[in-house]
Amino acid sequence: MANQSGNAYALALLCPVRAGAPPAGFDGQCQESYAAHLRYVLQSVRVSGDSPMARVPNTYLSRFFLLDDVFYQGSPALEEHLKSSYLVFCCNFHGELEPYLTGMWKTIESEVRLILNHCVGFSDQTVRDAAAFIAYIKKCEIKTTFYFNGSTDQPLAEQLKGLYLKQEFSKFAFENQGRSAREIQEAFGEFIKGTEPENTARPAWKPGVYDLDKVVAK
Amino acid sequence: MTTAADDFLDLSDIQGIVVKAYSRFGFPVARYVLFRIDLPAHGRKFVVGITPMITTGVRWTDPASIPSAATNIAFTYKGLKHLDVLDASLHGFSDEFSMGMKARRDIVGDTGPNHPRHWDPVWHNESETGQHVHILVTIDGKGETEVEARYRQILALLVECPGVVQLSGQRGGGSDDLPYQPAAAIPPKPEEAGFPGGKEHFGYSDGISTTFFKGCGADPMEVIGEDKPVKGDPRTLEGWAPVAAGELIFGYPDEAFEYPEAPGPPLFSRNGTYLVYRKLHENTGSFESYLEAEGARFPGGKEALAAKFAGRWRNGAPLATFPTQESADRYIAELSALQLKVWAGQASPAEQARYQELALQLVALDYGDDKDGARCPFGAHTRRVNPRSALRFGNKKAFADDPGALSNRRRVLRRGLPYGRSETPARDDGDHGIVIMIVNADLSRQFEFVQQQWITFGNDFKLANDQDPLPGNHGTSKNCRAGGRMII
Repeated sequence: MANQSGNAYALALLCPVRAGAPPAGFDGQCQESYAAHLRYVLQSVRVSGDSPMARVPNTYLSRFFLLDDVFYQGSPALEEHLKSSYLVFCCNFHGELEPYLTGMWKTIESEVRLILNHCVGFSDQTVRDAAAFIAYIKKCEIKTTFYFNGSTDQPLAEQLKGLYLKQEFSKFAFENQGRSAREIQEAFGEFIKGTEPENTARPAWKPGVYDLDKVVAK
Repeated sequence: MTTAADDFLDLSDIQGIVVKAYSRFGFPVARYVLFRIDLPAHGRKFVVGITPMITTGVRWTDPASIPSAATNIAFTYKGLKHLDVLDASLHGFSDEFSMGMKARRDIVGDTGPNHPRHWDPVWHNESETGQHVHILVTIDGKGETEVEARYRQILALLVECPGVVQLSGQRGGGSDDLPYQPAAAIPPKPEEAGFPGGKEHFGYSDGISTTFFKGCGADPMEVIGEDKPVKGDPRTLEGWAPVAAGELIFGYPDEAFEYPEAPGPPLFSRNGTYLVYRKLHENTGSFESYLEAEGARFPGGKEALAAKFAGRWRNGAPLATFPTQESADRYIAELSALQLKVWAGQASPAEQARYQELALQLVALDYGDDKDGARCPFGAHTRRVNPRSALRFGNKKAFADDPGALSNRRRVLRRGLPYGRSETPARDDGDHGIVIMIVNADLSRQFEFVQQQWITFGNDFKLANDQDPLPGNHGTSKNCRAGGRMII
């Protein structure tokens, strides 16, 4: 399947944004459009380790953006337009789609609603539970063959632990240059004790964090 | 994906003043208010505060969605700088915009009596510590009460943003220091009560023609005579096509099938445009006395002379279609009477059809049958600023596939209203004229070109350095008489 490579899943969504604007804003005028408001919402989503997507289990990478229209390449190309704006959501994760989406619904339902309520067919009434959410996402899913190259297809916790160990081991190697075998062996014992290679939970890198100074969860 | 859709413009992100000529929606009163930003953070807070009030281009199909007043906003280059817009974006603006209109005065003909030193005081004292105009807010309303209410709502925002200062120094009502520029439509004469447009101080019906552009959402029939001429009969839909939206709004293809040049990133400029604000005093005394004196010697009298100046009779009838005053008066009387019936919902189907037919005649012309300018002179105001197919000079082979080849990229949108009251008998020195706002995507190619080449020069019309008889800069002699000339 195009969307799966080993245990990695590439989810790509095009969710049509509602046309027009909610009625009756200031002085009876239309309010700003659903698309414009959605842009504010997306821009206010916290990023890095504070991102809601960092709480969704097994997320390798995700990004949202608003696609207003397609670009026109100039004559003699035909001038084309999208029928609506689209919320584009790209996400790479470990495992199968349904368990992943169930995890997303359980951890960040309120944030998902805040965003998807701007989209056609999504409302508190039409999407009441994880099953309806999964059904909605499947309707908007498109095939993709683009994967996040910086990731393997292992579970996220294992990858984060692996990255953590690699970082710490590099530090260990630098710090112990020129020392005797005995000293190195002793230091390595401390290293293993401190880094707990068998414990994927901690210490390890935190999901979503890309700042090396803030990445380690003790 | 869809092609050639009519609804590709993001009307909810385009300001209403761009898409709508407010006076056509029953908004005859306006105020234009200017602000300076002293503290960028307060400037941004003011913009955030006023944003919900901004009227968008969304169509007013439901009367309930028409606000009591419309609010729109524009910024000068310095204003954007004082909002701390990034340099990388500021560098994307055109020189014409970043220099400002004062620095372009020689190009746009603002010399002599039109020199910036004669402009309203609000435009003076632009030292680093003095008055800089940074923000223009326009308020258009159904009446003075509605406009005043909106004005108060906007000023209330300043309480929270003392770093934004309202600029006084606009001239009017005997004062040099008004806190805003008032403007209002001049109602038509009683016999023209149904005419769809107001008057300006020289007595002409104004605001008759507006540029119809792709996606603007107006009645498709309005494309006739309001945009770019194509091969067909100019009296029918086959004769016209909408101007590309990119001629008037950033982010959409223009007549060259390209996106207009605009500052990046695209999200910053998309759905925006350039707006030119000009306050034009009208020398009504000189104009009337000239018409009286010269009209006495002119075949057809002063009204015919006035019509030759404008290309339209003062009642609005186009000279190229209605060459005699009698035919023009008869036409406008019938059109106005039918318009009143249509507004009242009392027109029979036959009257409706007749009304449509007559209304079209206001604009459905391309000068193809007046190639020598025998009816409407080459130098008449409306023929200059919107030449339609006239630059073919009657040569059907010229630009055969694109009769408006020399004019399609010079189209602009006109907004604004008359200001002040003209005295009777007319005098030059009162406070009266029009505030005109020009909207276009390329100041140099559109506004400045029209102003420089077509209004203050005449070569394109084979008229050497003759100027537009109405907005041209004819200078003044000692007795304040203009020194222009016009070939009729």
